[in-house]
Amino acid sequence: MSSPGVLRRWRPFLTGHLPVLPFVVFALFPFYHMVVTSLKSDAELYNPLKVPLWIEEGPTLAHYGLLAQETLFPRWYLNTLAVSGLTTALSVAIGLLAAYALARLRFRGVIAFGVAIFITYLVPPTLLFLPLAIVVNQLGLSDSLWSLVVTYPTFLVPFNSWLLMGYLRTIPKELEECAMIDGCNRVQALLRIILPVAMPGIICALLFSFTFSWGEFLYSLVFISSAERRTLAVGVVSDLIRGDVFYWGSLMAGAVLASLPIVVVYVLFMDYYVKGLTAGSVKG
Amino acid sequence: MVRATMKNQRREGRGLSRRRFIATAAAGTAGLAGILASGRAPVLAQTRELKLLTWSHFVPASDRELKRQAEEWGQQARTKVTIDTAPHLQLPAKKAAEATAQAGHDIILLYSGDPDLYLDHLVDVSDVAQEIGGKLGGWYNAEDFLFRGTWKALPWYLITWPIAYRTDVLEKVGEKAPDSWEDLYRVGKKAKAIGHPIGIAISHCDDANFQLRCLMWGYGASYVAKDGKAVTLNSPQTAETIEFMKRFFKDAQDPEVLSWDDSHNNRCLEGGKCFAIVNPSSAYESAKDKKIKIPGTERLIHEVIDHTLPPRGPVRRATTGQYNLLGIWKFSKNVDAAKEFLRFHYAEAQQDRFIAESRGYNMPFLQKMSNHPIWGTNPKYAFAKEIMRYTHPPGWPGPMTDASQLVMDLYIIPDMFAFAVTGRMSTKDAIAWAEKEIAEVHAGRKRRKT
Repeated sequence: MSSPGVLRRWRPFLTGHLPVLPFVVFALFPFYHMVVTSLKSDAELYNPLKVPLWIEEGPTLAHYGLLAQETLFPRWYLNTLAVSGLTTALSVAIGLLAAYALARLRFRGVIAFGVAIFITYLVPPTLLFLPLAIVVNQLGLSDSLWSLVVTYPTFLVPFNSWLLMGYLRTIPKELEECAMIDGCNRVQALLRIILPVAMPGIICALLFSFTFSWGEFLYSLVFISSAERRTLAVGVVSDLIRGDVFYWGSLMAGAVLASLPIVVVYVLFMDYYVKGLTAGSVKG
Repeated sequence: MVRATMKNQRREGRGLSRRRFIATAAAGTAGLAGILASGRAPVLAQTRELKLLTWSHFVPASDRELKRQAEEWGQQARTKVTIDTAPHLQLPAKKAAEATAQAGHDIILLYSGDPDLYLDHLVDVSDVAQEIGGKLGGWYNAEDFLFRGTWKALPWYLITWPIAYRTDVLEKVGEKAPDSWEDLYRVGKKAKAIGHPIGIAISHCDDANFQLRCLMWGYGASYVAKDGKAVTLNSPQTAETIEFMKRFFKDAQDPEVLSWDDSHNNRCLEGGKCFAIVNPSSAYESAKDKKIKIPGTERLIHEVIDHTLPPRGPVRRATTGQYNLLGIWKFSKNVDAAKEFLRFHYAEAQQDRFIAESRGYNMPFLQKMSNHPIWGTNPKYAFAKEIMRYTHPPGWPGPMTDASQLVMDLYIIPDMFAFAVTGRMSTKDAIAWAEKEIAEVHAGRKRRKT
């Protein structure tokens, strides 16, 4: 084969895959390290003479066994799934309505409302958890998963509203105006015309909300006390970090299993996600 | 058969007179209305509930024993007792939220300065403290636990910081177990030369806070006077301590100690790198549990780890540790039940098991319990019989206060040493900086980091 032929054959790899490779390695390295650490025996894990990047003495499932048998890991998994699913659905629904109102309706103070929502998003949870503790207690939701369903939207709704507001502004008004001329009212126009067009933005908001809820730590730590009601982030840390003793293998096993749903969700909706993120970035 | 049963039911139905039916119905309705109006279940159906929040103990068996005791007492007292745990560094957030919301647990684990910080939120437990102290030989340094003259918490147990060192490395360098800071420096210098540095953290962690106080006190320095108010940091003794640490850091340590958290020194000893650390016995116990070997050999590393008393300085041997106390929130609806449970838990038989299950890690503040046989079963715990004599609260010679806790939480002492040993500040400037920070804490101008 002639050298131009070889070059032509390898060009996609050299110009496409090769430049991306360092970024892929950089992105996947933490996950790889988590998996390798979770499969190593303690004896190997603590031996500084062993190479930390692969398993020399054979893999073990002991750390996964400890998670399954000596902690309430499956229960925490279900709790996190329930809380994340519910808060994501709620906050995206509320955020969409708020974003639509701010992006489409004309009323006095609409800009100020938009800015206020953005500022709300900037208030850190470390400031909010004390007043929220009073609210949660007065609602009678202490030590209940509902306390998280109520409090997570405090940071998810502002974020979703802001994200979707930007996205909805890229959708031509004429689309819904046509629908309304054809007899739709505003809610029907929103549901039948805007919603399908805004799907990439909505999925992007869903993904972000799910990821934030999935990994949230502070509210879950403060508002939940019972072991059986914990979420993953707090459960794993509570049972596997004991004083100055860290159960590294089991912590990594927990991290691997906890990251799987996020990986699956992102893989499934990657295209929508990218579209949703970039839609508002150029002037339409 | 079915027909016969129906017949019996009809006969029984006929037995209920109209008057009796009305009386029964009226009583039932009144009772139900009463229950609904009061919002409480009838007395027979009520179950008392008691909740206790503590840290996730490094020895899981200690938590299990506490839960067992809770169940046993719960059955006796017809009370549902729940023991919740949280990581030790996250407990302050939970306590703050509970005090703010005035809801949560009934009994709570407190650190040394917490009773002062939450003074108005805690029940006076003087009656329980005196009763328990009377039965078990009295409390060690009872005056340390009087918060503004009152028992606002019961001393639970102390976690101590002895020296944990490798006997095999000691043999290699031809030395004896270090007794003083100068010994530790001399042996550490030799050990570092053969690849086994000492691991004294100079960073934002509890280990650094405790170890560096031990060093300062040993040289006669302190940061606060006995009144807990006057700042005494700026002294020739503090300067001498820092100059010592500069040598120690350069010749016997690795720079990584500047970035350590509480787990790093454990890993350094367990992994076979460090010759010695100043730490609770968790490193030894964890190495034993995990069956970690000395790198490159088949020998288990815990076999060559031993403990000795924390190092003494030219002036004295004095150390500190984690003071764990138990308090009862004032908002608790079960203060009496909480006190009953504490009386049960502090009974000799229960304390005996609690200490044994913790493998001797829980050092009681009760004189009688300090002779527990657990410390005689393993020669590696020989230090335990004496260490209580040398241990003082972290704000010593001052009392345990909110300010002393805040000086710990802001890591002012470790920062002072870090600035000096890295050359970022001169010894004089580092002391002046720390003195200003501590003065601001005591003046109430410095707030907690979130």
